[in-house]
Amino acid sequence: MSILWVLVKLGAALGFGMSWAAFLGWVERKQSAVMQDRIGANRADILGFKLIGLFHTIADPIKLLTKEDFVPANVNKTFHAAAPALALGFPLLALAAFPFGGTFTVGGWTLSLQPLGSKVGLLYVLAMLAVGIHGVVMAGYASNSCYGLMGGLRGASQMLAYEVCLATTMAGAVFLYGTLDLAEAVRWQARMLGGWLPAWGIVFQPLGFVLFLVAGAALTKRTPFDLPEGESEIVGFHVEYSGMKFGMFMMTDLIESVVVCCLAATLFLGGWHAPFLPLDGLVGAAVMVGAFTAKVALVMFLLMQVRWTLPRFRFDQLLDLGWKGVLPAGLLNFFLTAWGIYLWR
Amino acid sequence: MARITLNGRPIETADGALMIDVAKEAGIHIPHYCYHPALGNPGNCRMCLVEVQGAPKLQPACRLKAVDGMVVRTDSPAVQAAQAGALELHLVNHPLDCPVCDQSGECGLQDYYMTIGRYKSGVAEDKRHMAKRKPIGPHVMLDQERCLWCTRCTRFLANVVKTAELGIFGRGHGQVVDLAPGKVLDNPYSGNVVDICPVGALTDRDFRYKVRAWYLESVDSVCPGCSRGCGVQVHTSTKRPWHNEGRRVARLKPRYNPEVNGHWICDEGRYSYKTLDQDRLGKVLRLRPAPAGLSAVGTELSWDAAWKEIAGRAGELMADKGAGGLAVIASGALSNEDWRSFKKLFVDSWKVVQFLFAPEPDQVGPEDSLLRRKEKVPNLKGGEALGFGTEFRSMSWDALARSIEAGRIWGLYVVDRDVAGVWGPAAAGLLGRLDFVVFQGPFKGGTGDLAHYRLPSTAYVEEEGSFTNFEGRLQRYAKALAPLGAALPDWEIFEGILARHRAGKGEAL
Amino acid sequence: MITVRTVERPPRDLAVQVFLLEVVKGLGVTYRHFFVNLWRHLLGLAGGRPAGSPPAAAWGGSPRGRASRPPSGRALAARGAVTVQYPEEPAVLGRRARTRHRLLKRPDGAPRCTSCLLCETVCPARCIRITAEDSPDPGIEKRARTFEIDMGLCVFCGHCVEACPVDAIRMDTGDMELPALHRREMIWDMKALMEDS
Repeated sequence: MSILWVLVKLGAALGFGMSWAAFLGWVERKQSAVMQDRIGANRADILGFKLIGLFHTIADPIKLLTKEDFVPANVNKTFHAAAPALALGFPLLALAAFPFGGTFTVGGWTLSLQPLGSKVGLLYVLAMLAVGIHGVVMAGYASNSCYGLMGGLRGASQMLAYEVCLATTMAGAVFLYGTLDLAEAVRWQARMLGGWLPAWGIVFQPLGFVLFLVAGAALTKRTPFDLPEGESEIVGFHVEYSGMKFGMFMMTDLIESVVVCCLAATLFLGGWHAPFLPLDGLVGAAVMVGAFTAKVALVMFLLMQVRWTLPRFRFDQLLDLGWKGVLPAGLLNFFLTAWGIYLWR
Repeated sequence: MARITLNGRPIETADGALMIDVAKEAGIHIPHYCYHPALGNPGNCRMCLVEVQGAPKLQPACRLKAVDGMVVRTDSPAVQAAQAGALELHLVNHPLDCPVCDQSGECGLQDYYMTIGRYKSGVAEDKRHMAKRKPIGPHVMLDQERCLWCTRCTRFLANVVKTAELGIFGRGHGQVVDLAPGKVLDNPYSGNVVDICPVGALTDRDFRYKVRAWYLESVDSVCPGCSRGCGVQVHTSTKRPWHNEGRRVARLKPRYNPEVNGHWICDEGRYSYKTLDQDRLGKVLRLRPAPAGLSAVGTELSWDAAWKEIAGRAGELMADKGAGGLAVIASGALSNEDWRSFKKLFVDSWKVVQFLFAPEPDQVGPEDSLLRRKEKVPNLKGGEALGFGTEFRSMSWDALARSIEAGRIWGLYVVDRDVAGVWGPAAAGLLGRLDFVVFQGPFKGGTGDLAHYRLPSTAYVEEEGSFTNFEGRLQRYAKALAPLGAALPDWEIFEGILARHRAGKGEAL
Repeated sequence: MITVRTVERPPRDLAVQVFLLEVVKGLGVTYRHFFVNLWRHLLGLAGGRPAGSPPAAAWGGSPRGRASRPPSGRALAARGAVTVQYPEEPAVLGRRARTRHRLLKRPDGAPRCTSCLLCETVCPARCIRITAEDSPDPGIEKRARTFEIDMGLCVFCGHCVEACPVDAIRMDTGDMELPALHRREMIWDMKALMEDS
């Protein structure tokens, strides 16, 4: 029974990631269009119904799957095929560690809504994100293209730098909660201060949250930090990819974003905690999952808007920002947190 | 020795040298139309005025002789004003139709108009209208409106060719360059007037409208038209094949060489480029010689296979019937490099004794005292230097034909000589009796289909090499174009056969 | 007369250096656009009209080609988007838009082109191919025998129009729908290019 439940949860987590990826493709196009006085995707229709362009979430994968999967001559075929799978697979695995809800009791069973509970869940997520870098480097290396190789190396140095930054910005929150277990961290936040203020991480870690968003956007290669590919001018690691392999790299970006948003929701926005709402039984399970999803969506909305607001950084500016800006500020945040906890105790 | 100061620079030059030449040597260009180093200095265009210290008026540089202590300026405001003024007068009647003019891009008037011209003319009157395109000879088109009356063409025809077909008629507003009554510009050097005309008044009827001058690329070469070996520039147009009716060589221009041809070339050489892309061979073929009136059926070979087969077949026949039965027909069209490999293959290795080099009857033509020579091949002298002298050349076609008829000859190697075209159908019939005929050359001609092996060689514009002219002067020519198809230089073909021949005999390469 | 105006550099104090404040300002702008436009789209949906596609006749334009009266900026802004739904709606071309070439004629119907090849020379895409011949009219020296433009190569830079000394080529047809089923059909010859003149 419990194994079956874990499998259901894992499937749900996978579905959560994949449907987000498909949906975000539409969101990205539509949101940017609306804020730029355009209309955006509105051509795909089924029997004349366009449903504000939502059918593009179906049309795009069909197109990508039916396109010619062109593999240039002289590429390393094994690595060329493995790279998108690596890049996409590990962020998807990371999703399994998040508590989509707490525990609820139904019919005498107490069920947890976290697919894989672990004492070191946060480290696991960070590790999965770090392994994803290999996909990028491998794609650039296997392509037998100088543009691809340079893009892959840019990607490696950028993602490595911001992986460090990301860990640093979360250190304060982890120190506060006293645990690396993500479910435990949410449980710490799932209470009210003085009966009206939720004890979410953002209340204690505002600087940490902002830095986390910056580092998260950079780690997931989202504009303004999309230098590994930058397809409009500098091109990048997936320049030699087409068809669904290219599509997998696109999905990787979106799924990594989802992972970062899940992290933000879990560590800074109280995870599944929704104030003043019932959190037990089947209704409670729905509320918890809904609250978590809504928080992810909110952060995603913000990241999307940032993506379409800011122009791209130059690469040296990008690394400067990481090593000389976000990292020291994250360390400062960590020491301030430590000092605050020392005083409080 | 005269020490003069030109634009502030001290210059040493010969006493009495013309200032326009002195300046040119010093790298200072003085605008001019009428002056030409080979045609004298009438001083009528007034473009070359310079300022001489102490002289009350500006002096024409083409008539100003250098004297010790002279101080000359070619760039003072007075000079520039005088040049602009002279140019304005030149432009009183010039139509300035540069966009349609063939001279555009290499026109003296256009260049000076852009650098020193007054773009707004002070002349209120209408330009006069004259004959716009008047064919005055087989090669030259006259546009009287564009003429500046510099008299270069009339001086060339009167003093160099001494035929004087063109003259300046009328005075003032009615002045015009035209043919002398009853004459046509059809002397063998008529094309040179196009080169010396500084504007577009005289244009080349063959080159007209084919390519604009700025699309041309130029390579220095030597005219293969006769044993004079005049210096020429090969002007090619390859990037835009729809121009020039698809031909790659657009024109030949004389290249100044004071020792050989001066500034001129003859019309025969000038228009020899037209057939360069016609009737060309591009494939290495093994042929079954064709019956009369049909074209031969061939199998395409690689060079390596052809060389092997030819060396092997010739070796067999020589072992069988004796080396004395192989004859070689060649001509003075071979370069020195070709001659060397030719000798290595046929004389040193195959021990051939029957050679036919005589330029008669097709490779001889009119001769004159200016440039043209009787032998219409460039390099008989180079062959002579390698031992193919008069004793080899003495063998005639008639003697060879008798030998073939008598069955003493079993094979013939023809290098770029159209046997059937020159000696007629009887000669073509004789080729059918032979066991082994190789034809090698750039053009197919009438003989290309009659051989057992047909080897494409390059035309002179497609290879590097050297010719020795009738005076013994060695001149190099450069490669202007890529070879057509599989064509190789003659010497490379000879060397290829030679290498396979030696390998077949077990000799070291 | 060239005058030099010194533009003061914007201050780079800490608020700018930190960049976050600027990001927030920028987000303010884009969020304003987002929500205002979203509101307009919702209004449009409520009004029963699909967002951003008023009927073409409302602009007085023909179904294809140049609109006789382009929609005003205010009319477009009210839709929440300035998108023109080409090809259902007429394309809105600027007055100086460079579209497919045409060759102009002389009063007697002969092409104006004198075949000077300046357009072919200046063409950066090398899409123009001209060959010349003598004109039968004694007053005209040279004319084009063939004049081809490969629309598949043309980059619509307009340099040919600038270079022409006799105003023989213009890019004002308003025609930008040039697709063909074969590369050969993308090459327009002199006759086709003169049809609009």
